[in-house]
Parts: sequence; structure tokens; C-alpha cells
Amino acid sequence: MVDLIKKNAKSLQESLFSSVGSAALTIATTYLVINFFRGMLGFALTSDKDWLAVLNNMQLYMVQAYPEEDFIRVWLSVGLTFVLAGLSIGIWRSDDRVKSSQVFNSFFKGGLGVLFFTIIAPTNSSFMGNDGSVITEEVFSMETRLGILIPVAIFCVIFFSIRFININFTVNSSDMVFFYLFIPVALLWFIKLPTIQLDQNNERIIPDPVMPIADTTKIPWTVIFVSFLASYFIGMYLKNIKSIKSIMSLSWFLLPLLIFSWIFKKPQIDMSVVLGSDLPIFGAFLLWGFLVITFVNNSIFKKYYSTYLGLTFLLTLVGVFSGLPMLAKTCLLLIALFSVVVPAVSTSSQGKRSLLIVWAVALVTLTFLLRGGASDTGIVVPGSSIFGGFSLTWLLAIFGTYVSFPLGVLLALGRNSKLPIIRIVCTGIIELTRSVPYITWLFFASVTLAVFLPAGVEFNLIVRVLMVTAFFSGAYFAENIRGGLQSIPKGQYEAADAIGMSPFQKISLIIMPQALRAVIPTLVSSAITAFKDSSLVTIIGLFDFLTIGKTVIGNQSIPVNFVGHDRENLIFVAIVYWIFTFTLSRRSMKVEKKLGLGER
Amino acid sequence: MNKKAIVFLLVFAMVIVACGDTTEEAAVEATEEEHDHEGESTLEQVQERGFLKCGVSTGATGFTEVGDDGSYSGFDVDYCYAVAAAIFGDYSKVEFKQLTAAERFTALSAGEVDVLIRNTTWTQSRDTELGNDFGPTTYFDGQQLMGRVSDGLSSSSTLADIDGLRVCTNAGTTTEKNITEGAGLVGATIELVTVEAFSEAIDKFIAGECDIVTTDGSGLVGRRAVNDALNDWAIFPQSPISKEPLGPTYRSNDSQWADIINWTVYATIIADEYGVTRANIDSFDYDAAPEMGRLFGKNDGELQTKMGLSADAYYNVIKQIGNYDEIFSRNLNPLGLYREGGANARWTEGGLVYAPPAR
Repeated sequence: MVDLIKKNAKSLQESLFSSVGSAALTIATTYLVINFFRGMLGFALTSDKDWLAVLNNMQLYMVQAYPEEDFIRVWLSVGLTFVLAGLSIGIWRSDDRVKSSQVFNSFFKGGLGVLFFTIIAPTNSSFMGNDGSVITEEVFSMETRLGILIPVAIFCVIFFSIRFININFTVNSSDMVFFYLFIPVALLWFIKLPTIQLDQNNERIIPDPVMPIADTTKIPWTVIFVSFLASYFIGMYLKNIKSIKSIMSLSWFLLPLLIFSWIFKKPQIDMSVVLGSDLPIFGAFLLWGFLVITFVNNSIFKKYYSTYLGLTFLLTLVGVFSGLPMLAKTCLLLIALFSVVVPAVSTSSQGKRSLLIVWAVALVTLTFLLRGGASDTGIVVPGSSIFGGFSLTWLLAIFGTYVSFPLGVLLALGRNSKLPIIRIVCTGIIELTRSVPYITWLFFASVTLAVFLPAGVEFNLIVRVLMVTAFFSGAYFAENIRGGLQSIPKGQYEAADAIGMSPFQKISLIIMPQALRAVIPTLVSSAITAFKDSSLVTIIGLFDFLTIGKTVIGNQSIPVNFVGHDRENLIFVAIVYWIFTFTLSRRSMKVEKKLGLGER
Repeated sequence: MNKKAIVFLLVFAMVIVACGDTTEEAAVEATEEEHDHEGESTLEQVQERGFLKCGVSTGATGFTEVGDDGSYSGFDVDYCYAVAAAIFGDYSKVEFKQLTAAERFTALSAGEVDVLIRNTTWTQSRDTELGNDFGPTTYFDGQQLMGRVSDGLSSSSTLADIDGLRVCTNAGTTTEKNITEGAGLVGATIELVTVEAFSEAIDKFIAGECDIVTTDGSGLVGRRAVNDALNDWAIFPQSPISKEPLGPTYRSNDSQWADIINWTVYATIIADEYGVTRANIDSFDYDAAPEMGRLFGKNDGELQTKMGLSADAYYNVIKQIGNYDEIFSRNLNPLGLYREGGANARWTEGGLVYAPPAR
């Protein structure tokens, strides 16, 4: 133990106080950092801050005007995500063991953090009174300080010394997720928070009574936690089933689509449309795909296969800009894509059979999702959209990444293509989107995009924003990925050619995995940027998470007056953004480590 | 050649699918809205659609507020509800569209909203150049200044008293122009401190970084009610330095639609003159007041039917939303804004709120 302290002290001396200059720098920055946190804490604790302006508006922050009687849909969306996460953790359960000392060490570090903040927190803090005078008040008394310090210090000492007792106790690293999630869920049942209560005259009762957390919050979370745990065990049980991993990946891809087209949306299904239009289209395309698979090896059909492909693409292009139902358009796209893949896979009868299954499943999924998406929503919202607050930010972030990532891959490949037309088109798209500011694109979406769409096609504002966002972040993804492509040595291409791989196999099996691996950090930073940039939609009148805090809550006067409490809300918004982006970057660091990036 | 063609098609397919991806997402979220038919009147469009699209502010205390459950309330919002009640007999058939100051007129002329009730000042240029028409003024506002009593200012101060003081205001608004012009006219030199949002101006005022803050009177009163614990803040001059008549705005050249909006506002004012409220509307003696009877379609509702509405359209407005006084006191009294003695009092009491007779 003494050795350890000695070693730490030595490294501390080497890194912080190696020379007079670095010692001075260390002291100066420490002073600045401590003062910064002191100031922040003092600011947050003064009595003129009304933090209930944040707490009381949680519902507004999360879903804006989503009606309360349909909240089960929101919970279902969250719950399904957790269930899928539980299954995935179970299926991809790592064999890494975390040593108990490591766990204790992280507790110790967490305790140290709390100690640090408790020690530096200012006793007195001042704020500007309404007459311009400075009011100083005690915000953090010695009793509270000691009340926190002593237990936390004991906690730290315990976890520091426990590391030196030799226990060879290890925990599976995947299991730790549940432990970390268990703590907040358990806290929901014990913690009590001040709540706004109105008396008979609709006046706020001061001081705010302290109440336990509402059942409408803690029960759903507990249910979600339990199903998360259950799905984890199910996932471990299913682990060895063949192709379960690809099914899971596909589910992750489909889940947001399902949530946004059916669960969150509550579509009103018109049965006459389903029977009169959807089913015939579905049947026709099912038959088309079946015929293609059956006759693909027929010598005559084989001879004219490229003509057939060309015709299909032509038909698709014409179809997209015609007045066909949306389902027919997307099915055309799907069959065109499918026809490209068929000859490569359907060499054996086994391949043919699985192709048929894939085709049927893809068609069913597409029809199902599209019917939900294209139907009118049954959610009655007085505002303009069922998405608002965090649900809008989330929608923009998820779909922004979902659509723009594949788009970016394609654009990057296209830009590197040897075919001049493809190269020029892709370069054009990338340069055009990148050289115009995002805000300008948003205005384009809100004001001018409707003019460019074919007559009769009208999308609501959020969809238009999603379209420009996809292209905008797609262009950035494309440039990042192109950087990765350029890092691949020529020998890799030649080696792939040498063993007779098709261009498709070469790109998907050899080039892309290496290229993407090389650019993970930049991809993650692009994703983070996309997440944060979503707050710009405020200028075209959409209400994302930030706007709720910035302009909506500061104007509330009925029934509780929160006028002028913008800063509390802005701090809260900043913290939430930080939590999400920080988690994202930590996860990506772990992925990098696992892939051995930077260690070659 | 064959191989090249396949590669070409492959990449082409990828590009198509990439485009397809977006259309697919788009389709998932697309709402198959009825395309606006050219030549159809606004009323027909609204009735066909089944709800009114009303443009409101992104947030103005007392005028447009979003509650903690996402519900809308406020003075402007109530007038949106009133128009919906007149057209559909059901006030809830409104879709609100929150618009920033910059995009409000574009949204109106592009047909994104049917009517704009977003504390918009009626000016000559907006009326003529922008293709808008303005309805009757619902709230008479005007720019005022707020200073500290401890600085020697009072509610009877004038613009000349602010000589040498620092004035905080929003950048690039008419507010800024008005105060510079006004101070110049009386020969007062001021130091202008411009900020992005009004809440910042108030923060600077509280922090003592400026001595005066200026914006529309309604905004000043609202903030004084919240922040002035010591009764140190004075609003002056008595008569505002600018006229800001706020009211509904709609596209020009649709007189049927204009009539509907205008008479919705007038109906609330006339009901206030007769003292008809939500509470007493069914027990009111309409024989003694034939004007009310006509307006509510009790005797005959011929005029309403000629406008394309049902005979009891304005009865529904008052029954569901209330008269002018109710709308005003419900939303603005809690902020410390009162009708008495101001421009928003009844015309019989020296105010400007006046409606033409319903006959």
C-alpha cells in the first residue's frame, strides 16, 4: 500500500511539477478550474433559482404536447428499445470479467469526485437582486457539508482499503450494466422531490411540499427494468441459435421504423385501402419476385437479364415521379435492387429458397411499415406535430444517422468510382451539400422544397427537414469514409481481385470493414455533431429539446409563473446534451479499443 | 463491356436505393395532405380540411404560452380558438403553428397558416407591400420605457429625462428605431445597448448594466409583476412612444374570410358591451337586446349564413371562449395588465375597443 502511494506521488510529481514552469501552470489551472466549479455551484444554489421550472416541465421537455392518454405508446417505445438492448447484451455477452477491485476502484473514484465538489462548494453565494444590489446568502452550510463529507469519506476509505484485501471475486462485465441501471430505478422508489402544488386560489404553496415520485413515472420504469433483465436472460439462452445475431441487427434497424410508423404514431388504418390497393400491389410484387427467382437460370432470360435490369430501373425512375401509390413506388425500388442480387445468390436451390423467404419477409415488412407510416395519425395534438421536445431531437438524431450513414457510404464509394458519371454526380452532391450552411438547407426545406417536389406530393415539415438532414450529414459522412478508403493500400484491392471476388464482395468484405474501422473517431464525432445540430431546427419553428427550455418555459405564466427562469432550463438542457454525447464518445472509445485501433 | 455494365448498374442501384431510402422514410412520415386547390376560398379549404391552421408566437407571456402538458393558452391563442368555434362550432379544431417573427408573413402567404394571430403590429407597409390584410385590433399596445425610481425616474417621466442613460433593447427591431428617433427628437443623448432577446435585456437591467429597458408596454408590465419585489421599477411615459395595434392578419383579397375573422373579434366586443358572458349566455334576455339576438342567431341568423357560417356561429364563440373582457382578464390580468384607464378599455369608458353594430 505504501509502495502504491509512493508510486502515485512520484508520477504526480513527474507529470505536474517537473519544472518551475509546469508547477506554475499546474497551480494556475487548478485555481481556474476550482473557481469555475465554485462559481457554477454557487450560481445553481442561490435562492432566486427556481429549479422546479425544470422539474415541473419534464413532460413538455420529453414529448411536448403528446396526449396523456396515449403515454403508454411512449413507454412502449422506450420499453421495446430496452428489451432489444437486453436481448443484444445477452446474445453478445462478453466473456470479459471485471475484477472486484476494479469495481471498488470506480466507486472510490466516484466518491472522490463527490468529496471534491463538497469541499470546493462555496459557503456563501451572491446573486443580483431586482434593484441591482448584490445579495449574499448562505447556500451551503457547514452542517450540510459535514453531513455529506463524513459518510462519503468513510465510503471512500472503505472502498480504497477493500482493494488490498485479496478477494478473487470477478463479475461479468455485461452483468454490470444491470447493476448501474438498478441504482437509478431503485432510487425512484425512495427519493422525494419538491413538487409544485396549488392551493384553492391557484396560488403556489411555498415552500414547495416534498413528495415521492409519481407512480406514473416509477412503475413504468420498474416494469422496463424487469423486462430488460428478463430479456437479458432470454438473450443468453438464445445465444447459440444460428443467425440470431443477424436477426438482432435487423431488428435494431427496423425498431425505429416500427416505433415511428406504428407505436408512436397510432395510425388510423383504412381497411378499404388495405384491401383495395395494398394487397393487390403486395401480391403482384410477390409474384414478380417469385418469377425472377424461378426463371433466373433459364438460358433465354439469362441472356437478356441486363436488358431486364435496365428496364426495371427505367420503370422505377418513371414510377417514382408518377402518381403511383407510395407502396408501389417503394416496391419498384425494392424489386430493382433485388433483381441485381438475385443472379449472384440463386446458383443453388438452397440459395433460391432462402432468397424467396427473404423476398417475402422484406415485402411483408415494407407493406406493414408503409401502411402505418402513410396513414393518418390517431393522436390528437393541438400543436402542429406529434413530435416535440426530446422526441423530436431523438427522431432527428436517429433518422439523421440512419439514413445519412448508408447514403454517406454510397456517396464515398461513388466518388471513388472509375465511372465518370457516377463520380461526377456523387462529387456534385457532396460538394453542393457541404458548401451551403445547414441553416440555409433548413430554410430550403421549410420554404422552397415544396416547389421542387412533383405535383401532388406534399410532406410535412419534419419529413422535409429529415430529407435535407440526411443529405447534409450524409455528405460529411461520405468525406469521412472517403478518408478511410484512401488509407486502404492498393494491395488489398488487388488481393481481392486476385482471389476472384466480385466487386460487390470486394467492397463489402474487404474494403469497407477496414475503411470504416479506420475512421470510427471521425464518424462518431460526425454523429455527435448531427445530434447537436438538430437544435437548429428551432429557426424554422420546430420545437426541439433546446427550444422548449429556451423560449417556451421562460414564457409560462399560467398556472405557475416561470417568467425569467431561462437560465436554470438552459443549464439542464446543457447537462442532458452532455450526458448523451459523452456516453456516445465513451462507447466509441470502447469499440475502438476492442477493434485494436491505433495499436497496429 | 458486360462486366462494366454490371458494375455500373450496381453503383446505379446503390445510388437509387440511397435516394429510395430517403423516399421510404419520407413516405413513412408523409401525411397525405389534401393539396390546396387553386381558386378555392380559404373558408372552403378550412372546412374541407376540418380544422383551422392558426399562426401564433413562439412564446409571448400572456399572449401565447405552452403549458407543462403542451397545451396552448393565452390572449392570441383564445382568438384562434374563437375563430375555430365560429367555423366549426368546436373551439378545439385548431392546429397551432408557432412562427418566429422572421417567418410569419412568409408562412401566411405560402398558405401554411390560414390566419396569423401573433401579436403582429398593423403597419402601412405590412398592409400594402406584403399582401396581408389586418383585422380589427384586439390589443392596443405601445412602446414604453422602464427605469428605476431610485434613479429619479417615475411613471410621469418623459423621454427627455433619459438623457445620458444607458438603454437596453432588442437589436434590429422597430423598438430600437423608435427609441433612437424619439430620443433624438427631444435632444436626449442615450447610450444604446442592444441584445438578442428581451429576457437578456431584463437581465442586463437587473444587473445594472443599463438604466433603462424598453419594449412594448405589455412586456414591461409582465416582467415588472414578476421581478420587481421592491416596487422600484417605473414605466413611462404615460402615452407610449409608439403605436402598436395588435390583431389578426390574413391574406388579402378574400373578403369572405376577412369578414369571418373580423366579426369573430367584433362579436366578442359586442358581447362585452351587452355584458353577455359564458356564464349568463343561456339566461340572457335576447328580446331586450335584438342586436345580440341577431348576432347569436336567436331571432334569425341570416347574416351569419350569408357569411358561410351557421346561424349560431357567434353564440358558440361566446359560449365556448367568452367575451372580450373574459378573454382579456383571463390571460392578462394575472400579469398585471388591466383594461381600466388604458387604451383597451370599452369605448364608453374612454378606451378604444369599439365594434360596428351588428345589424
